Amino acid sequence: MGLLRTPFRQAIAILAVAYALIEFGIPYIPPLFGVASAKIPNTVVLQYLLTVTVGILIWVSDNERRWTEFKKPIHEVLVRPDRKLARGVLLVGVPLLMAFVAYGRALPDMSAPPSFRAIHPAPPSSIPFQGEIIELTGLENPLRSVGSLDEHYEEGKRVYYQNCIACHGDALRGLGHYAPGFNPTPLNFQDVGTIAQLTESFVFWRIAQGGPGLPNEGAPWNSAMPAWENFLTADEIWSVIIFLYEQTGHEPRRWEELEAAEGTEAEGS
Amino acid sequence: MRIALPWPCDARVAAACLAVALSAVALVPTSVAAQVDGEALYVKWCAGCHGEDGTGNGVAANTMLPRPRDFTLALYQVRTTATGELPTDADILKVIDEGMPGTAMPGWVDVLSQEERLALVDHLKTYSRFFQGDAPEPLEFSSATRGTDEAIVSGQEVYQSVECWRCHGQQGRGDGESAPTLEDDAGFPILAADLTENWTFNGGGTVEEIYRVLRTGLDGTPMPTFSDIVDAGVITDEQLWGLAHYVRSLSPEETPEVREVVSAKRITDGTVPETVGDEAWEAVEPIYVPLVGQIVVKPRWFNPRVGGVWVQALHDGQELALLVSWTDPSLSPDPTWADFAQRVIEIMGPGDEGAATAAGAPDQLVVQFPTALSDGMERPYFLQGDPRRPTNTWTWRSDAPDAVESIARGLGTAVPQPDGEQHVTAVVQHAEGEWKVLFRRSLDTGGAEDLVLPVGQAVPMAFQAWDGDNGESGNQGAVSTWYFLFLEQPTPVSVYVAPPIVLVLTLLFGLLAIRQAQWEATGAGARVARLPAFRLTKAVERAFGMGVGLAWLGMAAAAYRSASLGWDAGHSDLGFWWTVIAALMAIAGLSAMIGTFIHTLPRDEGR
Repeated sequence: MGLLRTPFRQAIAILAVAYALIEFGIPYIPPLFGVASAKIPNTVVLQYLLTVTVGILIWVSDNERRWTEFKKPIHEVLVRPDRKLARGVLLVGVPLLMAFVAYGRALPDMSAPPSFRAIHPAPPSSIPFQGEIIELTGLENPLRSVGSLDEHYEEGKRVYYQNCIACHGDALRGLGHYAPGFNPTPLNFQDVGTIAQLTESFVFWRIAQGGPGLPNEGAPWNSAMPAWENFLTADEIWSVIIFLYEQTGHEPRRWEELEAAEGTEAEGS
Repeated sequence: MRIALPWPCDARVAAACLAVALSAVALVPTSVAAQVDGEALYVKWCAGCHGEDGTGNGVAANTMLPRPRDFTLALYQVRTTATGELPTDADILKVIDEGMPGTAMPGWVDVLSQEERLALVDHLKTYSRFFQGDAPEPLEFSSATRGTDEAIVSGQEVYQSVECWRCHGQQGRGDGESAPTLEDDAGFPILAADLTENWTFNGGGTVEEIYRVLRTGLDGTPMPTFSDIVDAGVITDEQLWGLAHYVRSLSPEETPEVREVVSAKRITDGTVPETVGDEAWEAVEPIYVPLVGQIVVKPRWFNPRVGGVWVQALHDGQELALLVSWTDPSLSPDPTWADFAQRVIEIMGPGDEGAATAAGAPDQLVVQFPTALSDGMERPYFLQGDPRRPTNTWTWRSDAPDAVESIARGLGTAVPQPDGEQHVTAVVQHAEGEWKVLFRRSLDTGGAEDLVLPVGQAVPMAFQAWDGDNGESGNQGAVSTWYFLFLEQPTPVSVYVAPPIVLVLTLLFGLLAIRQAQWEATGAGARVARLPAFRLTKAVERAFGMGVGLAWLGMAAAAYRSASLGWDAGHSDLGFWWTVIAALMAIAGLSAMIGTFIHTLPRDEGR
């Protein structure tokens, strides 16, 4: 590890490793363990790197000897006659780089404005549905306690194929033949981050009220999800919910689990 | 040529041996497939459209045109076998794997395993007794010729001589004179393929796939085989490849990517073009905006004819010119298409209340903007707005003389603005199966309910299109979600000024730093003042610490701004978290400043 002897080189190495971890580690390492991840925005990368830089500066200036050693290579490049070439390269390169950055910042930005959107906004405790009020809190799928599951599944399948596949697709991955026409794209029910994380009452709310029923943080103006209370009965919606869970093999979240989880949290704190 | 093998054999025999060996390998998975229940898979994933009895009459069938395949007829479009022959197992597997472009059939290659898909192939074959006979022989296809200009020209001659244009039209947009009369073998109306959109070709859009379809035909549809005229010597195989190259050349080289922003260049010498044929348009890159059926509010429409529009825009600082082009075989209502439209209306489900019952509607195009831009992210509902947030719609109809500007508060609620407030003009052209509609409007009309189109800012914009001769009218048409129009500014002066200033300043700073370091190093600086040098270091440390503190406070201020934006837009979660971040940053900044102040106090000098 002779290369990393001096504090200056160590500082550069830490910065490089930090950059690699932030830029490439965050998006690509978690998927190796089956956890979904994504690239983080450049502004956030910059903020993290600033924090790392401040940390490095605190560390190198922590004791006098390391601080002197850290400054030594910088000082030598500035002063020693035999480092004239390095000096010259820096003197030309750094201003050019800064000018290039300034040019990039001055160019007009033609991208679409950012559109933040809560994918699973907080549900209301009750919703109006076809002239009645339905309490969502604590509500489980009523069809699970009556009739046969197979019949509800078959009915749900009919509802799904007649109304939903154009967008959400035959494989329930949100890749129907209309999906490319929509932004945001239709929800992927196979994904472990969608219906598998939700109670059936939440799914009922989203189906019944669709895009227009989203709160503002869900960007209701963009969603092409229809308000299905205008098309379907409550039983049809509950049966299509059973179809979604049966066909994907996911289990809905139950209210007892949620309450139990909240209970342990309360005890813990 | 001879190949070293244990037994005497020339290359052709070797190839045959290899083919036998390979097909034996290919057969192995089929026996594995026997362990997978193909019927159960079919019932779970396929029967919704194709029906449990395989007749193509699943519950979803009436929302699709072309209809799902009827497996009992054993008629398959995508094959490597001669027309009238059954497909090979590999052919069926290919369609299951890749789906049928331009239809509702998706690809299953990354949904089901190889064994499962092979089991499905076996199951599909049980719906027809024809498959009990010998396995069909695939045709031998020659390898592709090069797509030279000569090949394309010879292909164009074949296109004329074998009369492809009778159905597909002179420019390939499916507007030939026979097009309105086409139906498939089951009697459903069918459109001649739009050859300018190869990503929607049933059999695939590459030159090789087009050639294959020309050789095999698309059985069950009016698309015939051309193998017979090659065999009869009317045209050569090379000419057929030329035809494939010509057909491929009618579409863009790359399938258009969906982009969010249509940017309008600013014309500095002159005004915006006033005709659709103006040569100024040739320099403007068309942006493809895909459209899909309006299936959000009643009555829904699952069979939109317009799959997308090409959009180009220019402005001159005073006026916007927006050119929208799309494929539409007819100028609706065209009597020759009346029967086709009527049959489409009668076939298509789901028959929502208010659905059209009679054909004869015009073609229409709507371009929609918000009536006002909001500071936050809020926009009107993408289907022509909502009661709180109306949209300004520019509507053109093929049966009206000019465009109409309206205010809409939801789909189908557009109210035309009064006569004095009509500021949009439309120039149109219908030729060779294509509409071109050129809208023009002043950036600032002065109208109270008209959006002032700002320069240098992305403005939400959405599209809707109707083809009357496909049975579309009212709410039953094709729609898009929000896209953006960006009117470019003349290049800001700062682009030319800022970089040189930054360059010179950085250079000066670098020179100064080197100068200072060398001066101190020569000992001249050290001799002049030992104590002041220490003071200088203290001062530098203080400046550095205070600078870091200020930087943190600056970031805190930016975070606070994001927080207020979040609260304003109703995103309480964004607002909350940005507030937390702002608070933490402010604490960090203040701590840095206070710490620096304490540790650089003059009394420390004594130590």
